[in-house]
Amino acid sequence: MTAFTARDIPVLETERLILRGPQPQDYPDFRATFSSYRSRFMGGPLNPYETWMLYAAEIGHWQIRGYGMWMMHDKASNKPLGMAGGWNPASWPEAELAWIIWPETAGKGYALEGTNAARDYFYDQLGWDGVVSYLDPKNLASIRLAERLGAQKDTQAQTVDGNDVCYRHPSRSDLKDSQIADGIAMELRSYQDPLFQPKGYALD
Amino acid sequence: MTVQIPTLTSERLTLRGPDARDIDALSAFYASDRSRFVGGPMNREQTWRQLATEIGHWTLRGYGRWMVDLTATGATVGMVGLWNPEGWPEPEIGWDLMNGHEGHGYATEAALTARAYAYDVLGWSTAISLVKPGNDGSAHVALRLGARMDGEYSHVRFGHLDIYRHPAPADLVNGGAEAYA
Repeated sequence: MTAFTARDIPVLETERLILRGPQPQDYPDFRATFSSYRSRFMGGPLNPYETWMLYAAEIGHWQIRGYGMWMMHDKASNKPLGMAGGWNPASWPEAELAWIIWPETAGKGYALEGTNAARDYFYDQLGWDGVVSYLDPKNLASIRLAERLGAQKDTQAQTVDGNDVCYRHPSRSDLKDSQIADGIAMELRSYQDPLFQPKGYALD
Repeated sequence: MTVQIPTLTSERLTLRGPDARDIDALSAFYASDRSRFVGGPMNREQTWRQLATEIGHWTLRGYGRWMVDLTATGATVGMVGLWNPEGWPEPEIGWDLMNGHEGHGYATEAALTARAYAYDVLGWSTAISLVKPGNDGSAHVALRLGARMDGEYSHVRFGHLDIYRHPAPADLVNGGAEAYA
């Protein structure tokens, strides 16, 4: 019997987070969120069978595409906080930067920190020139995050099914050393160090 | 994270992990009416997600379904192996033959190999196969493998399914692979 070694999923670290491939032990939080109303903007709520099949597909996506969605963990406690990364199943017009935060961890900037790291990885390590996010126009929290990441609505772009909106992120060259990148770093520092109060920057 | 999918061989067949190259064969199968007993027909987008799920199943369970290639030609003739998504009644041995490869005993040969792996390597003490009523070809494979009807099961997506139970490891001569071949 021989074995082939499948692609390793890279591990990313940020100030507060560690991003790893989805593992079996991370499933309960995924199931809780995708069986709840919170998943309404991502095709949910799903029944238990659909939820498990989707979770398996998140893992298989890595093998097929060479990238995918990471599970974000709190670096100190290892607690799973949500997911962030790349998503590009067969019918997607372009590779997407996607995210979902487990309900109790929202509002602490984890999604910003995770998506910013994922986007940097796609730009710096995989050499992507750009990326988009497909959002439900009613998903105001995600639209706000897309805007904080510097993405802008692209009304010309093809969308997944016509019910979503395409937000186009700054290209790799536009993001590099930009005011947007500085603003993200400053906002993240305000979460990482609550005593840090940036001047002239509105915190929400 | 590393997923190790073992490659198994039988007299005519090589069982290997699914990967990106399999989307065309699977899309043709799931687009066809032949897939109506196993959740199809499905379009290419749905099939892509199914392929991703097949791969992820290995990570989540430590086992899964293999793509079955003819060793002599490399042609992919089926998807066969061990299947146990959330809510399944018990771990299952399942088989799908790709279009145009029916009637050669490939499903039986590959399922025997998968069953031997489940019993000898994973230490399973029993195994079932789920067959949709009307899928006579699949029921015939189950019977050839020595499995017998043992109840029924209703699934949210697949509806009513017959449960076939395989002989236990102790009931198979030499651990199974030769017993019904």
